[in-house]
Amino acid sequence: MKMAWAFFKRDAAIAYSYRAAFLAHLIGNVVMLAMLYYVGKTVGPQSLPALAKYGGNFLAFVLIGVALTDCVTVSLASFGAQVREAQTTGTLEATLMSPVRLSTILVCSSLWNYFLCAIRFSLYLAVGGSIFGISLGRANLTSATVIFILTVLCFMGIGILWAGIVLLMKRGEALMGVGGMVLLMFGGVLFPTSTLPAWIQNLARLVPLNPALEGMRFALLQGYGLKQLQDIVISLSVFSVVLLGAGILGFNAAVQMGRKSGSLTQY
Amino acid sequence: MPAEMLTASVKTITARDSRPPVAVHVENVSKFYSRRRWFSRSGPGDVRYALQNVNFEIREGEMTGLLGPNGAGKTTLLKSIATLLQVSSGRILVNGHDVEAEPVAARRLIGLVTCDERSFYWRLTGRQNLRFFASLYRIPDKKAADRIALLLDKLGLSQAADVPYHSYSTGMRQKLAIGRGLLAEPRLVLYDEPTRSLDPLSAQNIREWILASRAVSPTTTHLIATNQLHEAEQLCDRVVILNHGSVIADGSIDQIRRQVHSQGRVIHKLTCAGLPADFHISALAQAGLFEVVRDSANAGTVLLRVVTTETGEGLSLVLAEILRKGGSVIRCDTGEVPFEEVFCSLVQGETPARSAS
Repeated sequence: MKMAWAFFKRDAAIAYSYRAAFLAHLIGNVVMLAMLYYVGKTVGPQSLPALAKYGGNFLAFVLIGVALTDCVTVSLASFGAQVREAQTTGTLEATLMSPVRLSTILVCSSLWNYFLCAIRFSLYLAVGGSIFGISLGRANLTSATVIFILTVLCFMGIGILWAGIVLLMKRGEALMGVGGMVLLMFGGVLFPTSTLPAWIQNLARLVPLNPALEGMRFALLQGYGLKQLQDIVISLSVFSVVLLGAGILGFNAAVQMGRKSGSLTQY
Repeated sequence: MPAEMLTASVKTITARDSRPPVAVHVENVSKFYSRRRWFSRSGPGDVRYALQNVNFEIREGEMTGLLGPNGAGKTTLLKSIATLLQVSSGRILVNGHDVEAEPVAARRLIGLVTCDERSFYWRLTGRQNLRFFASLYRIPDKKAADRIALLLDKLGLSQAADVPYHSYSTGMRQKLAIGRGLLAEPRLVLYDEPTRSLDPLSAQNIREWILASRAVSPTTTHLIATNQLHEAEQLCDRVVILNHGSVIADGSIDQIRRQVHSQGRVIHKLTCAGLPADFHISALAQAGLFEVVRDSANAGTVLLRVVTTETGEGLSLVLAEILRKGGSVIRCDTGEVPFEEVFCSLVQGETPARSAS
């Protein structure tokens, strides 16, 4: 816990030193919210049949999609980005010399990003509720929290595996960009996957973002309890165990390969 | 076992026990890199050895220099001891902990001082940097704060402690790297070229600090990889010289001098006057005269470089010849063969050629 706090303090101090970037990031989020507002205004308040099971409000549908995808993106990209940054800034070797496991360092290094992500998630919902008039009165916060944690764990696995690839291959931004687009397309972020052709819908079931978003929308917009979300929770749990296990195994293998080839701190 | 043999064994063990315990044990360590070629078999030519069958031990409290030309394997060995690299064969123990089997336990005992300025967080202050690294070693807050204050004070960085690292000079950065290496009071400190890219004054300052820290903590073991031979002479009790990944010499600098020249050798620099232009004496090893070279000539004087045995045998031959040719000796400076020459002899397999002027 103390170590996690040390990493958090370090990253907070570094972020504070880049005040302009911090402000630009905040403005970016506000612009994103404004954009969603006008998209919602264009679509209008009428209930869309494709979104009926989520309450029918397009803006609410998209807002939750964007908010959760933001957390998913942090899980996917944060670990690899931390490794890459430590390689290029030269701090990786010094950190690796400490008596702490690399996986612990990796997880602790991402806490600040998760903290910001949680703030953004809350901001999206708060602004959605207070300014855009999205009703969250029926929201089941317990279910939403469980879905949120499972989603983060699930994508954390892929993110850690990704960090292993970055450790060995050094550059991987392009591949990560492709992954992000696949998520947007097949994850049901901006539109329900039920509008996709049947065979793509089957493929989309393999993307864990699908059940995650479905569960989160049901929990926040329809107030579903854990019993009603049982299938989604089981599906996300299986995804989490498999992906987290694969991520940790893959990352450890990458570290061993890096130590063997001497490329651990190269960039 | 007969009683006298048992007594002898006990005596041997007692004698061994009187020495400080082994801090670093390097046994048959080899490290090679194979160039991977997809879709084709790799041949023996595709394997490049960085270390080959390296063996040595360092006792607790020793300050050992790791020398060798560029690419000799110094950094590879240092990083292997520091658990950052996996060796291909052999084993390395740090205070009894196998760095491969127990890397976390080994790292707890090791402090690494690198010359890489980039290994700190540039937007944080010196103190914030050290605090962060102290937390990685799980040093309690109060103890860490005291230790950091002490180190910053001793390193002369107290004034700059709360200034961002990016505003530090190269010397200050190097000092902070030493501070970080010593933060967790390690039992083994590994230095990778601690004074590289420093001006002579800062380098001397760092060397004096290393010596001072040794006096404070005499049981801490130091292993210094360096290309500065005078640094090794000033700091180290012993040096290990690597070339092409193998140990080619191991011992004190005096022992290595003797390893290169079975008899001790000294250099006499004779400033002579009145010598004819064609003055020449051939070396006569049997008479203890190994080299006579005309080093330089100024107006009216000639500088002769004469290498003889430690006892000065052979010098009388040179003096007699100078007098016979009508010359005289104005000045004679005698000293040991520079370690640089010994090092070059070992690495190149011969003494570097000297041309007479």
